[in-house]
Amino acid sequence: MSDTQEIIEIKFADHRGYVPIGSSVIREDALAKVTGQAEYSGDISRPGMLHGKVLMSPFPHALVKHIDTSKAARMQGVHAVLTAKDIPGENVFGIAIADQQVLADKKVRFVGEPVALVAAEDPFIAAEAVRSIKVEYEPLQGVFDPLAGIKEDAPRVQEQGNILLHTKVRKGDYLKGFADADVVVENVYRTHGQDHVPLEPEGGIAWIENDGVLTIYSSSQYVFRDRKQVARVLNLPVNRVRSVNTTVGGGFGRKDDVTVEILVSLLASATLKPVRLVYNRHESMMTQTHRHPTITRVRTGATKEGKLTSMEGVVYGDTGPYSSLGIFVIKKMALHLGGPYYFPNYKCDSISVYTNNPIAGAFRGFGIFQSAIVHEQQMDELAAKLGIDPLEFRLKNCLREGLSFSTGQVMNEACGIAATLERLKEYMAEHSLRFSRNMEVV
Amino acid sequence: MINNQKDVLMDLVINNKHISIRAGGGRCLLDFLREDLSLMGTKEGCGEGECGSCTVLLDGKAVLSCMTPMERAIGREVTTIEGVGRPGNLHPLQQAMMEEGGVQCGFCTPGMIMSGVELLNRKSNPNRDEIVEGISGNLCRCTGYRKIITAIERAAEKMS
Amino acid sequence: MKVRGIGIGSMVYGVGYGFSRPDFASAEVEIAPDGTVTIWSGASELGQGIRTVLSQIVAQEFGAAYEDIRVISADTDKTPDSGPVSASRSTYVQGNAVLAACKDLKQELISLASELMGVESNLVEIQNGQIAAKDKIGKIISFSKLASEMHVQGRRTHGFGWHNNRTLDVDKNTSQGDAYSSYAWASQLVEVEVDTQTGRVKILRLASATDVGKAINPQLIEGQIEGGAVQGLGFALMEEMQVEQGVFNNANLSTYLIPTAADVPPIDSLIVEVSDPSGPYGAKGMAEPATIPTTPAILNAIADAISKRVRYSLASPENVLKVLGKIDGSGKEGFLLLEDIPYPVA
Repeated sequence: MSDTQEIIEIKFADHRGYVPIGSSVIREDALAKVTGQAEYSGDISRPGMLHGKVLMSPFPHALVKHIDTSKAARMQGVHAVLTAKDIPGENVFGIAIADQQVLADKKVRFVGEPVALVAAEDPFIAAEAVRSIKVEYEPLQGVFDPLAGIKEDAPRVQEQGNILLHTKVRKGDYLKGFADADVVVENVYRTHGQDHVPLEPEGGIAWIENDGVLTIYSSSQYVFRDRKQVARVLNLPVNRVRSVNTTVGGGFGRKDDVTVEILVSLLASATLKPVRLVYNRHESMMTQTHRHPTITRVRTGATKEGKLTSMEGVVYGDTGPYSSLGIFVIKKMALHLGGPYYFPNYKCDSISVYTNNPIAGAFRGFGIFQSAIVHEQQMDELAAKLGIDPLEFRLKNCLREGLSFSTGQVMNEACGIAATLERLKEYMAEHSLRFSRNMEVV
Repeated sequence: MINNQKDVLMDLVINNKHISIRAGGGRCLLDFLREDLSLMGTKEGCGEGECGSCTVLLDGKAVLSCMTPMERAIGREVTTIEGVGRPGNLHPLQQAMMEEGGVQCGFCTPGMIMSGVELLNRKSNPNRDEIVEGISGNLCRCTGYRKIITAIERAAEKMS
Repeated sequence: MKVRGIGIGSMVYGVGYGFSRPDFASAEVEIAPDGTVTIWSGASELGQGIRTVLSQIVAQEFGAAYEDIRVISADTDKTPDSGPVSASRSTYVQGNAVLAACKDLKQELISLASELMGVESNLVEIQNGQIAAKDKIGKIISFSKLASEMHVQGRRTHGFGWHNNRTLDVDKNTSQGDAYSSYAWASQLVEVEVDTQTGRVKILRLASATDVGKAINPQLIEGQIEGGAVQGLGFALMEEMQVEQGVFNNANLSTYLIPTAADVPPIDSLIVEVSDPSGPYGAKGMAEPATIPTTPAILNAIADAISKRVRYSLASPENVLKVLGKIDGSGKEGFLLLEDIPYPVA
C-alpha cells in the first residue's frame, strides 16, 4: 500500500464527470444513433445468408384444405418452403397463453396469418416463390364484432368458445350507490384500433452456431421469453437457443411477444444457413398486434354536492383470433374503468372476445388508454350536470392516501393524482385559461 | 444479388469518395447503398416513400432513396449519414441531436438528420415553420418531434 | 367559424404485472481496475433510454463517472434475465435490480475504503461522487482509486442483484385485493380550436402533468411525455385502422397516417414528483402514463368548444361534422343504444 497517502489526499475536484441522479446526461446510445452506426435487425447479415418471406392468409376465417408448395420448392435459389407440417415441435406460441399457431394448420383465423414460409437466396426470388404457392381455402363465416361474437350461435373462432376472459370487479353495493346519487350519467363509448407503427418493422436473423446453438438476433422487448417460445416450436432444449436483442427501432408493446423469431429459426434450422426476415411495412401491419378496439357501456352517479357514489360498467374488447396480451389488456380495463377517482361502490365487467379481426395485444397504454377515454368523458359530463368546474370536480373525487381503488387496495403516500391536477390548476392560472368560454369566435 | 435486370456500371461519388463498380441494376438506390456498399445507416421504414427514413442527399438535394432508381445516381454525388460526420468529427446537427434529446429509438434519426442537413445547407437561419416543413416528410414515432426541431435550431445557431 | 375549448384528461396506471404474476429483474455489475463499470442487464433498449437510466444509477451508487459505465443488454448467453420491457416497469423493476447489484458490492467498497482511510466503516459514505469519511474533511477517495485497490487486494468486484416486484392476486369473483405495488398518475390539459365549417381540430397547446416519482433523467422524461402525447394526438385525430370484414384496408403508411412535425402543438412537460418508496430514488413508471390522458383531454376540449361530444374516439373532420349535424351521422361512429349492451348480472 505504497500510495495510501496519495489516495486519501485526492481532492474533490479530481473526480471528473459526477452527475447526480436527476441530471439530463446525454443518452449513452446517442452517438451510435446519430452517426448511423447503431445496428438494427435488418442491418445484420452473415455470409451465405438467405432471405425469408411469409405467405399470408387472404381470408379472415377459412379452412385450409390443401397447400401445394411444389412449384416454389423447385425454383432456383429457393432453399426451403415450410408449412405447418414441417414444424419439429409444437406449432404454437403466445405471450400470455399459447393459443396462436406459428403457421396455419387446418384453419386460418385472420387476414395476414402466416400460412407458409420461404427461404431463398434473394428477396425477389423469395417473393416470387411465395406467390407461386397454391393454397386451397374453404371460407367460413367469421366474427367481426365482439358483440356478435358472444352470441350463442356465433361462429367459433377458437374451439373452446369466443370469450377469452371475463373479469369482474365488485366493490361495495353499487345499487345502493346509485340510490344515493342525485345525478347519473350513462353512455356508450366505442374506441378504434391503432397500429403501433414502430419506425423499424419487425425483423431478425437466425443461424446455427458451430456448437449447435440456434442463435437469433432480433428486434425484441424480451429475449428470454423469445428463446423459450422458439425452443418449444423447434423442439430444442431452452439452453440450446440463444436470443440476442439488436438495437430496437421502437416497440410500444408491438415487440413484446415474438414477432419473426420463430419464423427465422424454422428456416435456419431447415436450411442450416443464416436466414434473415424483415417485414415490410404492409406485412408488419397485417401480421402483428394492434390496440384493442373496445365497446363500453357505463353509468356513473354522484351526489348534488359532487361526490361520486357509484359506477357500473361493461367493456367488450375485440382481441382478434388469438390472445396475445388481450387477456390482460382487457382485464386491466375492468379495474381502471373508474379512473383515478374514489368510488365507494363499483361494479365493472370486462370481456375479452375472440374475433376474426386483426390481432390486438399490448400497446402503450394497455387498456388504460381506452379506459381513460371513458372515465374522463364521464367526469366532464357529470361536472357539467352538477355545474361544477371539471378540474375542481376531479380534485374533489380523486384518490388520495387512505382512499381505496376499485380493487379495495388502499392508496399510500405515493398517490400523486391530486398533485398532477393541482399542477394543471396552477398552469391554467399562469396562462389565464378557463373552461367553457361558450363558442368564443376566434 | 440475383436479379433479372442487367448489371450496370455504378460510377458515382459517395460520401466524397469516387467509386466505380458493376452491380445488378433495376433496384432502388436504398438497396444499392445497403446491399452493395454496406452503408447500413440509411434505413427502410416503409419502402413506399412515406416515412423518410431512407432520406439521402443526391447532389445536395434530399431524396427518398427507396423511391429513387439506383441508375439515377450514376455520375452524381450521394451523401448518406455515414458521410455527414463521424465520431470525433460530428456535424453540428448530429451534436445538437444528442444534446437536445432528439434521439430515442434512433431508426428515423439518419433520415431526419439528412433532411435537417439539407435544410441547413439551403438556409443558414431557418425559422420554426421552415424547420417543420423541412422535416415534415420524416416520420418519428418516439420523440414527438419537438426536440428534433430544437436540435435543428441549435445547430443553425452554431453554424452561423 | 372557429371555436376554442379546454379539456382535461387524467389517469391512474397500475405499474408492472400485478396479480402475483412473475415480475422480477436481475442484473450484474463489475468494477474494473481503472474505475470503469460494466452492467449486464436483460432489459431491452427500445429507445426509451433504459441503458442510460441504469448507467446513471450505477454512477450514483458508486460515485463513478457516467461516461465510464458500459451496459451489455439483453442477450440470453450473457445477461441475466431482467423480465420484459413492458407495463412501464423498466426503471421501476429493472432499475431496482441494478440498484440491488450495486448494493451487493457496496459493502466491499466501503470496507476497503474504511481500511484505507482508517475510519470505521459506518463513517464511510458515497456522496456527490466521492467516497468520503463522514465528519472528517479531507478524507476522500475517488472511486477509480478504490477500484484499482480492490483489484490489487483481490476483493470481490462482481455484484449480482435480483429484485422481485411481488404483488398479491385478487379475489377471483370480485377482483378485490392489492393487485399492484405501485401506481402512476398523470393529467393533461389540451386547448383546441375547432373549425366548424371543415370539422378540422387544431391543438393549440398541450400541458402534461406527469407524476414520475423522481425524474432520474428529466430530458428522457420529457422525451417520453412529448412522444407519448403525440401518439395520443394521432389516435384522437387521424390514426384509425379501417377494418371491414376482418380486412385491414389501410395497412400501409400512405393511407394509415401518423402525426408529422406539422401536427405537433406546443407541449409543456410539467414534471411532478410524488416519491414512491418502492421505486429507485422514488421513481415510478411513466412511459404509458405519458400517452394515456391525451385522447380524453382532446375529446373533452372539443366538447368544451362545440358543446357536443364525439363519442366515437376518432375526432376526424368527418366525425366532428357529423356530431355538428353538418353531414349525415349514420355509420360506425353512430352509437350503439344502451340497450344493445346489457350489463352482466351482479
